[in-house]
Amino acid sequence: MLDLLAQTGLNAVYAASYISLVAVGLVLIFGVMGVINFAHGELFMAGAYVVVAVYADMHMPFFIAVVVGLLFVGCLGLLMERALFRPLRDNPLGGLVASIGFLMILQALATMGFGVRMEFIPPVTQHVVQLGENISIPLARVYVIVAAIVLLSALWYFLKRTRFGWALRASAQDPQAAELQGISIAQTAKIAMFIGAGLAGIAGALTAPLISVNPHMGHSVIVTAFIVIIVGGVGSLEGAIIASIAYAFVHTFVTTFYGGVIADITGLSLMLIVLIVKPTGLFGSADRA
Amino acid sequence: MLLEMKGIAVNYGKINAIRDISIQVPEGKIVTIIGGNGAGKTTTLRAMSGMVPITKGEITFEGKRIDGLPASKVVAHGIAHVPEGRRIFPQMTVEENLRTGAFLRRDKDAVENDLEDVFKRFERLRERRTQRAQTMSGGEQQMLAIGRALMSAPRLLLMDEPSMGLAPVIVEEIAVIVEEINAQGLSVVLVEQNAELALELADYAYVLETGNCAMEGPAHELHDNETVRAAYLGI
Repeated sequence: MLDLLAQTGLNAVYAASYISLVAVGLVLIFGVMGVINFAHGELFMAGAYVVVAVYADMHMPFFIAVVVGLLFVGCLGLLMERALFRPLRDNPLGGLVASIGFLMILQALATMGFGVRMEFIPPVTQHVVQLGENISIPLARVYVIVAAIVLLSALWYFLKRTRFGWALRASAQDPQAAELQGISIAQTAKIAMFIGAGLAGIAGALTAPLISVNPHMGHSVIVTAFIVIIVGGVGSLEGAIIASIAYAFVHTFVTTFYGGVIADITGLSLMLIVLIVKPTGLFGSADRA
Repeated sequence: MLLEMKGIAVNYGKINAIRDISIQVPEGKIVTIIGGNGAGKTTTLRAMSGMVPITKGEITFEGKRIDGLPASKVVAHGIAHVPEGRRIFPQMTVEENLRTGAFLRRDKDAVENDLEDVFKRFERLRERRTQRAQTMSGGEQQMLAIGRALMSAPRLLLMDEPSMGLAPVIVEEIAVIVEEINAQGLSVVLVEQNAELALELADYAYVLETGNCAMEGPAHELHDNETVRAAYLGI
């Protein structure tokens, strides 16, 4: 029984890793752009398809494919900023609707390029790390956990210790006051979109060999990310990470012991309870980022 | 002349916020802009720092045209704006707020010196260095906003209603600070609802009325002027 609990906990840590990468990117974009990016799940999907193209089809090393995934999806973020969010600045609802349109375009492009069927991606490594008699974790999952810790720590350092990190937070908290300090909002918007989208892309790329890759895979990801950022408090990066971990543990344990459908219901119920008890989320305030 | 505004107009949509305003700020002086609500004081200040586009006229700073530049570029010329309502970054620490004020500066050693100067001037900010800005009192936030503006090493400081919402004793403190900053050679444009205070501090004053300049003159003269006393000093 103890082994089962430990094993489930390990699985939860893996889930928390990629969920927090996606959720933190979503929060960052919301903070700086003031827009809820509905296409965020499809950015995750795009990252996964980069691995299909670069690793599975072109037989390049997996590591290269992951880096390409980060850069390519980061650039999709820049494209969204330029084509959608910049012309629709001061119109958050318009930005939201435009991001839904972008979501459909990405899905259609993935379908045209790769078809609707699930993609087969050869496993990166068959190695399984044995931690006890009945506790083990595939090495590919360890990669995801390590990558999430490294990337989130790097983001933390960037936001708290560097001038561009301060500029990013300043523009999220008060864009006009930020401009008065010489910060160009157009520039911080680009940085936020590149990082936010890139994190979704690398999460998709890293998990691609472990999940089913298809053009509609973004749906469940975005629903999870929304639950997490609402529970954590929209606009709070710390909240997003802590809520990702909490959600991953609840969801994984309920899935293991009661089944997936019950787990989804539990997750949504938790979100409702948080919304009723503390509408700003556990770590949220009226301000952003 | 350090800053010169000639025949400025600013429109918000179809409304003329200011119609025809000319203001001169000499080097090393405190110039104040007073007037009632909606007279266009804040808009005039925002036009100076590039926060709102002007539709008429021209603005020069140290002989260079600065109208048409976005706010993020005007700072680089040496104009720092302490906005109405302080507008500090609430979730950032006091030190992060101050360092963000030096965002454009590359002279690292001088930035450290200026940070030390700000902490010397406002000891309370030093004590609260790692505290989130939003947790501070109104007076402390106003000091932070001034400190943040000083961190850009400006030659002209624009202050919009620094006394707003503060207790009288804090207002006195802010007034002393403005005088000290000015005594060290920094020119100041002060927009104030509190005309009494503004006219005491300033060398020269402009009185705005519905987007136009109704009167101007040395501050002490306006302070003793019958019309000004009746309209703005409530005496």
